[in-house]
Amino acid sequence: MRLLKAISFIILFALTLTLFSSCGGGGDGEVSVFYFTYSDTYISGVKGAMDAALRREGIAYHNYDANGNQSTQTEQIDTAIAKGSRLLIVNIVDTGSDDAAKTIVEKARAAGIPLIFFNRSVSESVVKSYDKCCFVGTDYEMAGVMQGELIGRYLLDNYSRYDINGDGKISYVMFKGQQGNLEAEARTRYAVSEANKLLTAAGKSALSFYDRSNSNGYLVDQDGMWSNAAANNYMKTILSAYSEGGGNMVELVIANNDEMALGAIAALNEAGYNKTGGRTIPVFGIDATEAARARIDSGAMAGTIKQDGVGMSETIVKIARNLIDGRVALEGIDSESTVGDWRVNIPYSAYTKEG
Amino acid sequence: MNIFKRGISSIKERTLEKGRRIRDGARSFIEADTGEKIKRATSFALDNAMYIIILLAIVIIAIMRPRFLSAASIINIISLTAAKLPIALGVGGAIVLSGTDISAGRAVGLTACITASLLQSTGYSGKMFPALGTLPIPLVILIILAVGAVIGLVNGFFVAKFKLHPFIVTLSTQLILFGAVLLYLQIGGNGGQTLSGLAPSYTSFISGALFTVAGIPVPRYVLYSVLITLAVWVIWNKTTLGKNMFAVGSNEDAARVSGVNVFMTVVLVFMLAGMLYATSGFIEGARIGSIASYTGLNYESDAIAACVIGGVSFVGGTGKISGIVIGVLLLQIIFVGLNFLSVDQNMLYIIKGLIILLACAVDMRKYLKRA
Repeated sequence: MRLLKAISFIILFALTLTLFSSCGGGGDGEVSVFYFTYSDTYISGVKGAMDAALRREGIAYHNYDANGNQSTQTEQIDTAIAKGSRLLIVNIVDTGSDDAAKTIVEKARAAGIPLIFFNRSVSESVVKSYDKCCFVGTDYEMAGVMQGELIGRYLLDNYSRYDINGDGKISYVMFKGQQGNLEAEARTRYAVSEANKLLTAAGKSALSFYDRSNSNGYLVDQDGMWSNAAANNYMKTILSAYSEGGGNMVELVIANNDEMALGAIAALNEAGYNKTGGRTIPVFGIDATEAARARIDSGAMAGTIKQDGVGMSETIVKIARNLIDGRVALEGIDSESTVGDWRVNIPYSAYTKEG
Repeated sequence: MNIFKRGISSIKERTLEKGRRIRDGARSFIEADTGEKIKRATSFALDNAMYIIILLAIVIIAIMRPRFLSAASIINIISLTAAKLPIALGVGGAIVLSGTDISAGRAVGLTACITASLLQSTGYSGKMFPALGTLPIPLVILIILAVGAVIGLVNGFFVAKFKLHPFIVTLSTQLILFGAVLLYLQIGGNGGQTLSGLAPSYTSFISGALFTVAGIPVPRYVLYSVLITLAVWVIWNKTTLGKNMFAVGSNEDAARVSGVNVFMTVVLVFMLAGMLYATSGFIEGARIGSIASYTGLNYESDAIAACVIGGVSFVGGTGKISGIVIGVLLLQIIFVGLNFLSVDQNMLYIIKGLIILLACAVDMRKYLKRA
């Protein structure tokens, strides 16, 4: 019996090792793709599209999950380089400063392999410091700007209906995804400022943050994960203190991404809002994930800004193909969306029930 | 000097003793009948399962991916091991006391933040303390060791004084430390931003090349990690604190009756742990290039896993430094190896869980056999 146990124990382990490795295409000359976190809905959508595009091109690849931690990602890059990677495709974790990106660029330079950053922004000077480096993403400030315009237009369409307590001001709550993240900062700022531009131009007063004692003007996911749960917790707490009866109900919810918007909607649903037949508080997100689009179509959510994850993946794989075949990185990429020879911008679009 | 001599002679004795045991074991093994042979071989395989697995893993991975044994890859694994070792050594002490420490990761995070903020380049635009300049490295080391010691003091005090389970105490301090990290990052108009712009003197002190092998630099923190490990080995094996730690871990009441100051022992072991986390925090900033609020998150889970794999038992009172080193190394070999084999990342979490479970089961088997 004992022997049986020991043998099965060891065989089991050997099997785990070999079984799961059968999918790999060989260590040498594979493309390494590093994701900020698998737990992010939008990122896992991008991952699905990227996997499909890489397989279609017949490029051997291996994915890494940094789980929202720059240390993990930097270590994974070391491992991939030691393994003999031919190209690094990096969705960097830390966008709050240049140093993490610089460290990665130095590693790629030392190994002499090309590097594509995507989605999460890396500053121009860092990308340009290495001739085999480029960036594929969005003009990150545009998401917030477009969300703000969408909110302004939406509110002006039927202002009195959304101003629940009739005080002539719309009180709002803002969910910020991460402290110190460039995209989160820009979305938080521009969503409100752009909406205010439209509102004041139409003679309405500017949006007012629901809690006057909070001078930040936002509630942030303390774990920096842009998570559904964080927004849900905040929203539940808010709804326990702010209500229509008290005349101080929150009249608008803005979130840095769809996950947080959905978290807020779940809390609103529990309190009886945003259901068919009941009162609906407009909720806005960014990303246009499947779940968010379904909620928008059913009327529980007001709108979102679409980041074209599939388009981004396709572009990245096109660049990867160019680099592997020894061509210039951005050859054959739509020139309208390229910036110099170092950057490709994937355009945003608004998504509402009307389309 | 005396300690050193005694250390060497005890190592010599133990080596001789080991040799005798192996000879005796081999002779009696040859003389035994087949059934007995199988039984003993199985027992041997199970007791040394971790070493067998480590060898097996290396062989399988190296056959499938020869690059796994290239200089670059080996140095990568050694560097990763060196970076994780101090935390595991700290947690190891707490586990020997039959406790645990889940505040380790956040302690690393806080000390890393303090280190980074004090060692930003003069003139860096986002500097947290612009008036301070860049402090001398030895001063910063003293400051963060003090911070680490205070964290450990709080942990140890509440465990020893109020007989609270270390899990509860360190769960509380984990939360308090995270709050402290978030507050600290708001200081001086930093506004929760990532800390970077680290002074080149600091980064080269940590990750500059110690020496190069086949053109691949070995970072300096590997040396620091070796020195720290030696220091902790001396504390565990050659000092009263070390002996008391094992005594308290295996039977607290018996230790108290024999005159061991249990309160002091627990407090000192946690303070040592805190200081070890601080050294990890000190290394972390320069190694990664920037420090944010998530730095150190969940580091304790890998450290605890490494200790358990290395034979530091949750039963308390047993554990060796060599075991911890092997535990950390094994975890890194497996993770790097699985990446070499292009194993799906989702599977990695599952495999990690299975390995820890197996290691604990093998460990407990020794105690079940005795009972």
